[in-house]
Amino acid sequence: MGGHSAQVVDGRGTEPAARPAVPEGPPPELLFKRRLRPAQTARELWAARELVRALAERDLRARYKQAVLGFAWAVLTPLALCAIFTLVFHRAVKIDTGGVSYPLFAYVGLIVWQFFSNTMNQGALSLANNLSLLNKVYCPREVFPLATMLVASVDMLIGVGVLGVLFLATWTAPAATALWVLPLLAIQFAFTYGVALILSVAVVYLRDVRHLLPIITQMGVFATPVAYPLARIPVRMQEIYCGINPLGAVIEGYRRALLYGQAPDAGLTGIAAVSSLVFLVGGYLFFKKLETGIADVA
Amino acid sequence: MSREYELGTIRTEHVWKRFKADQQRMLLRDKVESMARRLRGGRGEDWRWALRDINLHIEPGESVGLIGSNGSGKSTLLKMLTRVMYPYGGIIDVRGRIGALIEIRAGIHPDLTGRENVYLFGALLGLKRREVAARFDDIVEFARLGGAIDRQVKFYSSGMQMRLGFAVAAYLEPHVLLVDEVLAVGDAVFQQRCLDRMREVAEQGTTIVFVSHDLPAVQSICRRGVWLEQGTVRVDAGIKDALAGYRDSIEAQSEASARSGEPLHLLKYEVTGEDRENLTTDEPMTVELTLGGDYRGDATLHLGVSEGTSSPIFQISHEIRLTGDDHHVACVIPRLPLPRGRYTLWAGVYSIGKTDGGTLMSWHSAGQFDVFGPVLDTPPRAVVLAAPVFVPHRWEE
Repeated sequence: MGGHSAQVVDGRGTEPAARPAVPEGPPPELLFKRRLRPAQTARELWAARELVRALAERDLRARYKQAVLGFAWAVLTPLALCAIFTLVFHRAVKIDTGGVSYPLFAYVGLIVWQFFSNTMNQGALSLANNLSLLNKVYCPREVFPLATMLVASVDMLIGVGVLGVLFLATWTAPAATALWVLPLLAIQFAFTYGVALILSVAVVYLRDVRHLLPIITQMGVFATPVAYPLARIPVRMQEIYCGINPLGAVIEGYRRALLYGQAPDAGLTGIAAVSSLVFLVGGYLFFKKLETGIADVA
Repeated sequence: MSREYELGTIRTEHVWKRFKADQQRMLLRDKVESMARRLRGGRGEDWRWALRDINLHIEPGESVGLIGSNGSGKSTLLKMLTRVMYPYGGIIDVRGRIGALIEIRAGIHPDLTGRENVYLFGALLGLKRREVAARFDDIVEFARLGGAIDRQVKFYSSGMQMRLGFAVAAYLEPHVLLVDEVLAVGDAVFQQRCLDRMREVAEQGTTIVFVSHDLPAVQSICRRGVWLEQGTVRVDAGIKDALAGYRDSIEAQSEASARSGEPLHLLKYEVTGEDRENLTTDEPMTVELTLGGDYRGDATLHLGVSEGTSSPIFQISHEIRLTGDDHHVACVIPRLPLPRGRYTLWAGVYSIGKTDGGTLMSWHSAGQFDVFGPVLDTPPRAVVLAAPVFVPHRWEE
């Protein structure tokens, strides 16, 4: 550790006389390849559960700290849409709801749609908005879209509370088949998270994707059977439709289970389940594959 | 595939990393353009290597300083150790919990209070809620936030915001601590606290990798130095040797860009010891200079000695009268206070009075000289080596 001695003169004193030349490139067998180990990924995600909660909490607190009406906004938005739909579709277009009060009918669809569009819009930007952080701290990156979905779930929970009030107000009781809600919920979450994963990482690489979001949101609310029943779509198209947009089958399923006392259509729900699984797994793989380059492009 | 390494080990084998050379925007039309170029059989994209064939093995408890000029790949390497970035090729293996001491102001949410942000940071860095709670008082104390902790962060000064993020990171208890240029953060007092904290962590046996341009700070913390140059390891040795090599190379570069067109220039210089022998600590030293140039008049000659280029040790000056011919001047220092090592001699000449308004020969490093003699006593681990002077002394008991 003493003073540097005379042979350090040219700054290369401690190197061997003949420094091995740097090769042209890395040995081909050591080229980096993304290997996904499901067990390890799951463990990491589980370890990050506090982070998901903290991020969601941050968004919720930050959102409502400045807003005078606070959590009331989570209720007001779907209620306002519900009122518009009632005016337009119920009064003007005369949608046949099969004897169920139209606001209730539309509100069930709106809850699902709001959940999806919130998660998609916030989730898609969740990585891009946190880039400076992603560049410095390691954490499993899928927690960012996951946290936005958690925030949307809180909103949905509030919306469900309002649904209860609507049931009371319209003197309707939820049907006994309401337990069917659980598998439908799983489909809804899987599909929504899959879409959020794909979009979030796509936005980092291609800023243009950002501009797609409002288009998807605006078209989606009409392309999905939110204001009208799935029956409006021709029967032979329904299967393809639910394959592309599992939300259609999910909303239809909720209505049957909660409002009509029927089990969801097995065929369509099955298709939606498979489709949403494909979205989830495919989206996850896509995300994990592109995730490795985020720090390079950011 | 590999044997089990102890927690705190860092291993990189044949690590390569490349970036796109023209990566500026990420718009669809850029992608379309580059795709079209590739279809037409062009080169597609330009890549440049950021790191080439990095092989490092760092044992648990070692403290390593990463030095090198801008763009040499230090931060890229650190990012890959943090797992934020992935290599193009090679193996990176960091055992144990990784802590990164970095400025993470970016993650601060302005609408939340300091307290809420501390918990959020903790979660980001992998701490459990109750772990943060246990360290909460230390964190607030370290960041010197006091009563402001329950205020919204947007009402903090920028310094307070920085300290907040930093303090949380400082109270992780990792096996490996990665530190990137922290000393640019905060005021002098806070910098000192950060260094103290790093020393404390080093004492506890944590592996430390420290990236900084503040060479004395690196020297005060690290035992081993890795000097990166253009993406390769130039020197991997004891911190003193690595720093000396790095400083020499900076000097060589600054000497290469020598000034011209000044009225005076240094024709010759010689630094000798007693009887024209080698220089020895605590013995006389003679500096002889010959100045050339056609300037006439009074001027002040300044001489200085530094360790490396960035740590000046002493400076002396003398008035001379220039006659237009070559001017010879000698200076004797009866007892040289420098310990063994390599030093740089600096010289400059400035006119006296209001004549030409200043510089005759600007302050520049004239060259280097070696001193032989006793080695400075090694300070206790983790004490700043800011005192480069040899003081003759005698111990009594």
